[in-house]
Amino acid sequence: MTSSRSSFRDGRGFDRLLVGLTLGFLLVFSAFPLVYNLIMSFQEVDLFTLGSFDRPWVGLENYADVTGHRVFGLIATNTAIFVAVSVAAQLVIGFALALFFQQSFPGATWLRGLFLAGWIMPGLVVGAVWSFILSGDFGVLNWGLMTLGITDGRVFWLSSPDTALYAVIIANVWLGVPFNMILLSVGLSAIPEDVYEAAELDGAGRVRRFLTITLPLMRAQIGAVLSLGIIFTLQQFDLFAALTQGGPANGSNVLQYWSWELSFTDYRIGQGSAVSVLMILLVVLVAVVYVRSTRHEHVA
Amino acid sequence: MTIKAMLAGSAVILATPALAQEQVTLDLWTIDDPGEYHYVMAEEYMAANPNVTINVRTVQFEDMVNDLARSIATGDAPDITYIDNPEVALFASRGMLLDLTPYIEASEVVKVEDIYPGPLASVTYEGGIYGLPRGANTIALYYNADKFREAGLNPDDPPATWDELYETAKALTDPESNVYGLAFSAVGTEEGTFQFLPWLQMTGGDYNNINTEGAARALNLWKQFIDEGIASPDTLIRSQWDSTGTFNAGNAAMAISGPWEIPRMSEEAQFEWRVALLPVPEDGAERASALGEGDNVILANTDTPDEAFAFLEFLYGDMDRVWNDFGYLPASAVEVTDPKYPEAYAVFEESMKYARNRGPESDWPQVSGAIQTAIQSTLTGQATAEEALAEAQAEIDDVLGN
Repeated sequence: MTSSRSSFRDGRGFDRLLVGLTLGFLLVFSAFPLVYNLIMSFQEVDLFTLGSFDRPWVGLENYADVTGHRVFGLIATNTAIFVAVSVAAQLVIGFALALFFQQSFPGATWLRGLFLAGWIMPGLVVGAVWSFILSGDFGVLNWGLMTLGITDGRVFWLSSPDTALYAVIIANVWLGVPFNMILLSVGLSAIPEDVYEAAELDGAGRVRRFLTITLPLMRAQIGAVLSLGIIFTLQQFDLFAALTQGGPANGSNVLQYWSWELSFTDYRIGQGSAVSVLMILLVVLVAVVYVRSTRHEHVA
Repeated sequence: MTIKAMLAGSAVILATPALAQEQVTLDLWTIDDPGEYHYVMAEEYMAANPNVTINVRTVQFEDMVNDLARSIATGDAPDITYIDNPEVALFASRGMLLDLTPYIEASEVVKVEDIYPGPLASVTYEGGIYGLPRGANTIALYYNADKFREAGLNPDDPPATWDELYETAKALTDPESNVYGLAFSAVGTEEGTFQFLPWLQMTGGDYNNINTEGAARALNLWKQFIDEGIASPDTLIRSQWDSTGTFNAGNAAMAISGPWEIPRMSEEAQFEWRVALLPVPEDGAERASALGEGDNVILANTDTPDEAFAFLEFLYGDMDRVWNDFGYLPASAVEVTDPKYPEAYAVFEESMKYARNRGPESDWPQVSGAIQTAIQSTLTGQATAEEALAEAQAEIDDVLGN
């Protein structure tokens, strides 16, 4: 029995089975939705034609409609700001915290663990908490800012088009920092201590050691954190739903939320699909850059 | 259960003796939670009609259209559902609802003449009647009579015109004590459209004609409320429920909202609150008010249309209970004996006469979206009222195919 099982596992058939299962899974759960979404983006789809493939084919019209829409420029800019500021702030704060917890002091390890609590919480819950904090008339943040004398009057974080996007960014940075910190901490602890000791003996200061040892050796981790951060940020939906609903007047609307709005509140599902196809292209681009940037390290 | 309801229930059984024999199951979707309208009424109906089983399922208000459309596509649709007023046209135009006209003609209980014009318009689409209103609501002006007295205003003489509303709200605003003069909702959802439409309709416009001087005047007044600190800037993101919450807490001296606020207000508000009709643009101008609540409809592909209609008839027959038992207004001319909060009831009942339907328009969500954008871009100063309305009108014309 043992021999027959091992010969079964060694045989070509078993390899094919493994490959087949994996491919099948990917086809059903990844490729099919992607392709279906792509097809819908070329069709005129509303709620009532969701169930069939037989829908009017409109070619690139959905793409022309969304990119030509008067809010497209605003929403694309918002998306770029949201991703750039969120990812940059998450990386800097996450890196700083990772370095901080790398110092050995009592409780460093479990305090670092506690930071993950924020990351574990569902986005909608985080959004609800932040909407209390950021509320204009009764918000804790405004109370703090005014008590400390930083601002004179209330800032209406969520209802002013100038601040609404940044309100969501603040919440998103808070949400993303723990994940960044943990990934970077893992990288930091993999750097051998003796490299630092040798550098210290050679007279390199803290800043020098950081710039010439830590940063270069952390390249792969930073790359991973950056691209994962971009992908997570492009997927961020719950916070928008809980905090601003993309408003006021699209002041905090981003592509991922707009795509949902087009599909499920305006019922222009073809256009919503077109937006999500554009976003998939963007994510694929980020993934390619990431894979390319890490490939030569594996070779070297 | 009232005697009248029992009579209505037994009348249904008598009218349809054949149905009484076999067991029937009806699937009912609602936005209510257990203990609310549909659950209570279904229990009562089942008690009176042992051969009928009603499976009630709660669907979130925001998900109703999506879930319903999906269930129709996959063949899992319920027999009866609740839908919000403006959505009736959306489903009726696609042939998904049962035209109740022949059933109503044969009915002893339902008389079309009794249904108020607003609610009747909401269930009518191209000559057919596709649902029965379960009740109605509308909006009016709540005000804090104590704050009126403190400010030297007469609480027996609430603002009746837009100018008076502005003056009164301004006089009641007191930033030192965190009191705004007025709370309303200009949120970027259907609620924003719901609050704005009456202002537009009072000046002669409607959902398909919004690029008007009257609409610009209304929007500019709204903007003035926010720019001058008479209403909170968070008006742009607060639902009606949240806005009125600030009124109940004493942080706003007046609030525009509907009768659904009353149970909470009578518990929370530590002051004398009163209700007045929505102010009009100027003395003698046409009145208008919003029409809310929704309708009980039967899906076109139900297997048991007769039994489903019998249940709708039963619901409709108890219209006189909706105010006292469930907190909405009757959608038809019935006499409410001994109404709770009688003064408020009188104002809302009067207001119902001016309540107008949103639509009917089979692409209502897009029309409403254009109106919301116009409101929000004006109030945030991204566009002037005139520009925003012109843009919204262009989008609406596009949707309506004009």
